[in-house]
Amino acid sequence: MRTVRLTVYRFDPTSDERPRYASYEVPYRSGMTVLDSLLYVKEKLDHTLAIRYSCRMGICGSCGMTVNGLPRLACYTQVKEVGWRIKVEPLKNHPLVRDLVTDFTDFFRKYKSMRPWLIRTDAEEQENPTKQYTQSDAELERYIQFSYCISCGLCYAACPVVTALPEFPGPQALASLYRFLADTRDHGRRERLRIVDEAVGLWRCHFAGSCSQVCPKGVDPALAIQLLRREAMRG
Amino acid sequence: MRTVRSQARSYPLVLKTMLVPVGYTVERWSYTLQRVTGVVVTLYFVLHVVETGNFIGGPNVWYVPPKDFAAAYYQHVKELLHNPVFDAGLVVIGWMVAFHTINGIRLTLAHFGITLGKPARVDPESPPRSFSNLQRAIFWASIALATFAAVYSVDALFGVLSG
Repeated sequence: MRTVRLTVYRFDPTSDERPRYASYEVPYRSGMTVLDSLLYVKEKLDHTLAIRYSCRMGICGSCGMTVNGLPRLACYTQVKEVGWRIKVEPLKNHPLVRDLVTDFTDFFRKYKSMRPWLIRTDAEEQENPTKQYTQSDAELERYIQFSYCISCGLCYAACPVVTALPEFPGPQALASLYRFLADTRDHGRRERLRIVDEAVGLWRCHFAGSCSQVCPKGVDPALAIQLLRREAMRG
Repeated sequence: MRTVRSQARSYPLVLKTMLVPVGYTVERWSYTLQRVTGVVVTLYFVLHVVETGNFIGGPNVWYVPPKDFAAAYYQHVKELLHNPVFDAGLVVIGWMVAFHTINGIRLTLAHFGITLGKPARVDPESPPRSFSNLQRAIFWASIALATFAAVYSVDALFGVLSG
């Protein structure tokens, strides 16, 4: 039977002096994902391995990790796609909790700071709605691509600017801000632009495009950020 | 919950992330090249100003500019720079200046939202719309024109083509 050789990053900051890599041989079966192979390790070979996952179908965004050097969703990555020798490490740019589990506190704090909800000025209408908010197809297409984000943090892990400058909001937060800025139902344009028009804000993106390359949902944060720049320059 | 900071925060890994974009698309390589060429050209510019200052006698030229003193510096710097190593360095600088300029124009256009695709519904089969054909064409044009500048520099400094 064909086997997959997994080399997995192991580090428990509460007990280990330094990180190490552990190797496991996992029997391959057709359709096996990287997450499947890690779950095999956890169930059959080493119960102490820490991983995070939930839906197993690329929807929840929990199982982001670095697979052979690139950030990927483990459940969305076929073993056959990446080869029979697979190196699995935690996501970069996220603080480590243990083994392959990273801390998303900073990531979600930045996301929340972008106010990712519709900002409306008609409070009375919001309390007692009298009509529906219709949009044309063209209006919808201005932002629908960016609304597919599942907050998996892969773009954040791939961004070289976040690596060099941890205060940078990151591609996910900036793209989510543009998603609402481009929505015709939103009234928060000035407020949103003020949030990112900072020294360590929108202008620090250097268009490396890695965020768009690794996004499993086709959100294309690099495009959103460049369009956001254009909006910011218009004022 | 006790956590440790990601190792990527350390300076060696910051440099590795910036300088080794293995596995990523040409946009990331462009990012790396733009950073490296920017730093090198800036350093060259500083050295160039110093070197030019030395050519005319250094800071003392503002006080007492004796002809012999200036001539000595001129000869010294001229002899120092007239060697194949410096000429080869100028070829590299020629490549870098041309690349940084043209790729910089590409990035400026992108930052204004020009040359990028328009947002639309997600098509899993298509590459990201920010990686437009025009963007990539300008990137490869910057490589080609920079290489042309380097070839021109080789010919101008070493007379390879014109003999």
